[in-house]
Amino acid sequence: MGGKVSCTLGEVKNRADLIIYWGGNPAECHPRHFTKYTIMQKGKYVPNGRKDRTMVLVDIRETPSAKAADIFLQVRPTKDFEVITLLRAMIKDQPVDEAAVAETGLSLEQLRDLVARMKACKFGVFFFGMGLSMTRGKHMNSAALLTLAAEMNAFTKFVAMPMRGHGNVTGGDVILRYTTGYPFGISLSRGYPRFNPGEFSTIDLLIRGDCDAALILGADPGATMPQPAIEHLKRIPTIVLDPKVTHTSRLARVHITTAATGISAGGTVYRMDEIPLPLRPPLKGPYPTDEEVIRRIREAVAKKADWMPGMNGVVAAA
Amino acid sequence: MELTVTKNATCTFCGCVCDDIELHSDGVRITHTKAACVLGTAWFKNHTVEKLFPDALIDGKPATVDEAVHFAAELLHAADMPLLYGLSNITCEATREAASLAELIGGVIDSHTSL
Ligand code: SF4
Repeated sequence: MGGKVSCTLGEVKNRADLIIYWGGNPAECHPRHFTKYTIMQKGKYVPNGRKDRTMVLVDIRETPSAKAADIFLQVRPTKDFEVITLLRAMIKDQPVDEAAVAETGLSLEQLRDLVARMKACKFGVFFFGMGLSMTRGKHMNSAALLTLAAEMNAFTKFVAMPMRGHGNVTGGDVILRYTTGYPFGISLSRGYPRFNPGEFSTIDLLIRGDCDAALILGADPGATMPQPAIEHLKRIPTIVLDPKVTHTSRLARVHITTAATGISAGGTVYRMDEIPLPLRPPLKGPYPTDEEVIRRIREAVAKKADWMPGMNGVVAAA
Repeated sequence: MELTVTKNATCTFCGCVCDDIELHSDGVRITHTKAACVLGTAWFKNHTVEKLFPDALIDGKPATVDEAVHFAAELLHAADMPLLYGLSNITCEATREAASLAELIGGVIDSHTSL
């Protein structure tokens, strides 16, 4: 994410005295976030741990995470963008419309209190979850919150970090970013990377029927995607690499069983703060790793005729 | 049956990627975990290295990895606009291989992030 004002979880642990979770439920989805990185830890500049920190939870309903929070702000559903925009005005002492405030489900008092705490803290952090980034407004909500965090730096140190989901989603973004320049939804069909979510995102490609083969790597779209997308996967040759025979494997032409990441396959994965960590797989299994199988497929393809003159890795050299 | 202890193992179940987990295993499954949360413990204990699935399947029939690799290469090479999708449960090393394969076949590469 370009221009994101962020930090590592180690910095949060050692410095953050105001921790705001927005649209996420770490108590149930990231169970050790509180104890390992945020509110419960004693840090270098927050020596008394929990006592030195204030935790705010912003969400549309009272989840189990609210119990851990000092302040819980219940926003009306789909009003996150409006709350963020009001906060962006209020930190700059601009007047806000009371009717607009009332619509968000929060009171002016609550917002004023939050702004005062944000300005008074030494190191503030927003952790935002899918409740913000996957609801009405989507990436516009995340962009607004990132902007608010950036603007808060006129007053104090403030950062924002997405609460990424399971596995190596963060690593996928990082690797694609440094190999192609873009984080996801990248077409290489012209021999150079083009980024266009909506055009090159999987769900849109499948529903429109644009792609004519699919290689599924450790995912199960056959169980999770909308029916028209699944229908297209059935129509085209689909290849699946997965430690299990999945729903997608059953509609695929080829399935290859691979070693489970972190269990019997080693390598590197990224934490949500983009810190790469080595895996220490405890078991040895009978299956090859994804890395090995993808490499073998690539080597087999490389022996065939170029799909475009000058391709096959040696771009336009001839 | 030999008991092995893996210290500072890494859990990939959620974005916290805790790397301070102790795992006890008997060579086939993980029997005991220390420091992992409920989700992580369930994730580790859910796996075994018993051979529960065929090496590979082609059109639903068991095949060798070699056959499957070559058939997959043929299908991807023949396609005009192949799609590579997933990436969230594989390692960075595997994702790099996938990015390079996508370039070679002139395909689209995408992850869960686009959902
Ligand atoms: S141990 Fe729990 S908190 Fe840590 S990575 Fe695994 S699932 Fe997440």
